[in-house]
Amino acid sequence: MAMTADARSALRGATVAIIGCGGLGSNVASMLVRAGVGTLRLIDFDRVEEDNLNRQLFFRDDLGRLKTEALADTLRRITPEVALIEVVARVDAENIRGLVTGADVIVEAVDGAFDKAMIVNACATALPDVPLVTVSGLAGSGSANEIVSERIAENVYLVGDLSSDVRDGLPLFASRVMVAAAHEAHVVIRVLLGLLEP
Amino acid sequence: MIVDVALFASLASFQPDGLPGRHSRPLEFPEGFLISQVIAALALPDEPRVIFVNGRHAEESAVLRDGDRLAIFPPVGGG
Repeated sequence: MAMTADARSALRGATVAIIGCGGLGSNVASMLVRAGVGTLRLIDFDRVEEDNLNRQLFFRDDLGRLKTEALADTLRRITPEVALIEVVARVDAENIRGLVTGADVIVEAVDGAFDKAMIVNACATALPDVPLVTVSGLAGSGSANEIVSERIAENVYLVGDLSSDVRDGLPLFASRVMVAAAHEAHVVIRVLLGLLEP
Repeated sequence: MIVDVALFASLASFQPDGLPGRHSRPLEFPEGFLISQVIAALALPDEPRVIFVNGRHAEESAVLRDGDRLAIFPPVGGG
């Protein structure tokens, strides 16, 4: 069954800022575009490298390209009319507010624990009324069923198993990373449709 | 004063009762205690963390009040 006109309109009219276009962010972006989200702000400073191809939505002929630019090209192959704002920047506590300006939902999709904490702390302080989705715990070969999504505070949604840390030498499998990315994307869709996570 | 303290993930083991689980425990602290003083009292490791009081983000310098719900969450890496 097709989405209702109201749901389609809510998604098409929305702007989602994705901080980090790697394993999480590139896959979140493709799912949001497929769902019909109208505008994405793609934020990343990095270029595509060989060791990204095991889990990130890039291709061999993207090697060396800016992730924002390569991802935007791929997303336009899915939905040519999607509005994509490519932001080539490294997010920090000072610039984050400007980088995510206009977002209806913010997606934290970076890889380091320090940056994750900084993004949640900065967004929750400067933009407490903008829903934020963050991920913690997706590394390793533990059951994919351990990865869940929940609302941990007003306007803050948390995805992950909360414990499996790349710092412990755990590998990153596309399957588990994409489970987390799918949770993130689906929380965004539910928030945009006015549904609350438990 | 009593503050309901929930410690997520690896921090759960720092609850004074030594029991596992992220559920909150009522802990007693002196009036006017700061979040940073709770962190020191519980000997939480100096690692990235996110703090919420009553469901809203809070800084470590914030003063706690009787009946507050304090939640501390340590993000882990990977993405």
